[in-house]
Amino acid sequence: MTPPFRRVLIANRGEIAIRIIRACHELGIEAVAVYSEVDRDAPHVRAADRAEPIGPAAPAASYLSVDAVLAAAARSGAEAVHPGYGFLSENAAFARAVTAAGFVFVGPPAETMERLGDKLAARQTAVDAGVPVTPGLMVSTDQAAPADVEAIGFPMMVKAAAGGGGRGMRRVDRAEDLADALHLARHEALAAFGDGTLYVERLVVGARHVEVQVLGDQHGTLAILGERDCSIQRRHQKLVEEAPAPGLAPETREALAADTRRVARAVPFHNAATVEFLVDADQRHWFGEMNTRLQVEHGVTELVTGVDLVAWQLRVAAGERLAPEVTEAAVRGHAIQARIYAEDPWHGFSPATGRIGAWEMPAGPGIRIDSGSEADLDLPTEYDPLLAKLLVHAPDRDAAVARLRRALDETVIGGVPTTLGFHRWLVDQPPFVAGRYDTTLVADLWGDGPPLTDADRSLAASAVAAAAAHLAPPPSGSLADASAGSDLAAGRAWARLGREEAVER
Amino acid sequence: MKDERELRIGGEPVAPEAGWSFAWVDRRHGRALMRRDERVEAILVEGGPMAWVVTVRGRRIEVSALTHRDRLLAETAEQGRRHHGPAEVRATLPGLVVRVSVSADQEVAEGDPLVTVEAMKMQNEIRAPRSGRVIAVEVAAGQTIASGAVLVRLADPDP
Repeated sequence: MTPPFRRVLIANRGEIAIRIIRACHELGIEAVAVYSEVDRDAPHVRAADRAEPIGPAAPAASYLSVDAVLAAAARSGAEAVHPGYGFLSENAAFARAVTAAGFVFVGPPAETMERLGDKLAARQTAVDAGVPVTPGLMVSTDQAAPADVEAIGFPMMVKAAAGGGGRGMRRVDRAEDLADALHLARHEALAAFGDGTLYVERLVVGARHVEVQVLGDQHGTLAILGERDCSIQRRHQKLVEEAPAPGLAPETREALAADTRRVARAVPFHNAATVEFLVDADQRHWFGEMNTRLQVEHGVTELVTGVDLVAWQLRVAAGERLAPEVTEAAVRGHAIQARIYAEDPWHGFSPATGRIGAWEMPAGPGIRIDSGSEADLDLPTEYDPLLAKLLVHAPDRDAAVARLRRALDETVIGGVPTTLGFHRWLVDQPPFVAGRYDTTLVADLWGDGPPLTDADRSLAASAVAAAAAHLAPPPSGSLADASAGSDLAAGRAWARLGREEAVER
Repeated sequence: MKDERELRIGGEPVAPEAGWSFAWVDRRHGRALMRRDERVEAILVEGGPMAWVVTVRGRRIEVSALTHRDRLLAETAEQGRRHHGPAEVRATLPGLVVRVSVSADQEVAEGDPLVTVEAMKMQNEIRAPRSGRVIAVEVAAGQTIASGAVLVRLADPDP
């Protein structure tokens, strides 16, 4: 096969840059990485064939800078630019600028982003295409007719029209909280997107977040590649995704696919996109939005369909037609992805920074790791705290859950708090094991996390006692020495641990 | 045994159990094995000598190992910070300062908003932990801050 391009610049960093570099290499394409000052030696730079500096650590001055990325593309001699996800991936002005500068943009056309990037325009597109949407209303200023907003009904969701990734999103349960929520959401939206336009929609309580993957070539062919359930979320951001969505009735699955096709046909679409839906307990569904880019969770679809979405993004961008292996791909088995973030699940999933210590990823049958991290890596504070995506594939869902549990037990990350402990808890929770859960699971079931068991407290104390005894051999006043003379049971155990450790060696 | 270090988790004393044997797998990274009878636990043991973190099945467990004297000193310092003298209001998360609501010499009451920080993709208002006068504002809107960065310094309220 002739490579679709000779050289491609990847306008991103971290695990997704490495994922795209891998696809390039398999297609015989030279991959050009870009890096900010703090990423000079980052894993994605080492994975690439060439690398171009694009400025300081602050994203606005580097990975979000259209000028810096275009200048790097020009210097590198690349023919095409792949934006990954986040950063400039859904920026229509960037897509236009890339094309205007003579490069191929690996993603949907700029017009599509403009039509769908604004959530209100996207809702209208869905309505016009005959796809159901939740009741909603646009709010252009703080003063806009509170009575009309309240008429939507509570609970409601306030969202940024230009938004994504949970920014500018707030749940409002009571009329008296509405003004404050609109005010804060507008500030978040202005800060994140430079556009304070909000909309308000009725919140579907107990709904699942189900999204459908679509690929399109430039010759009018679409491929619907099944759905993913992304209901395990905190702060409206996903933690776990799986394909296929558990508990979906066959007719619902068909309806979602048909509606995805309608939305994709309503705009000038090619390349890769995802159409998000809410599905309630009665299997009713509503259009949420269309993401005109590769998703963080694209891997679970790749595992169950066998279709390399990134490779096909590159191939259709070069003008290739979708092959029958794509348009007729069947879903085989079950895949689950656990996102491992540098966040502390026991403290509200607050992001952590610092230096990664130990780093051991799982291996063996049915495991895929997409990561841009490694042992002894300093985590830049400027970027997303995603450390790795752990994906498993198995013949059915039960086997996939068991495989995920096994893989999590093999995974070791030190130095910073991570979501590993959350995932290890999740795979033992009956609603998750049964595949019967919705977007409320994390808030309702996890809360602030389970309390520490006595067994784990005791294990931790024993480990510290032993490690301390091991690290501080006899000089007077040391731990081992002090405890050796103690009558306390703790002291005896402490000293004994030190002795046993010595025997063990 | 006044100088003996006492192990605590979440402020509660905890005793080690006898019968475990311990071996480093990768000492530099804190990887260790604990064995008792046929049971094997692969864990991480990081930090020391006063503050340790043990990771068991992905869960980080903070274990303090302080002497009685260490503990008294820490408690006294904490009480002093809470009730008297200047206070530093620090960022608990890394993020972007989007708004500064106070300026130097301004009197603030407990709970007054000081600085709004965008972190975790949400805007969070950092509020005054107690009343007092603002001595200095250490950040400006648009600035990226690390976790633990000093945002605002407060003095005692004027008598």
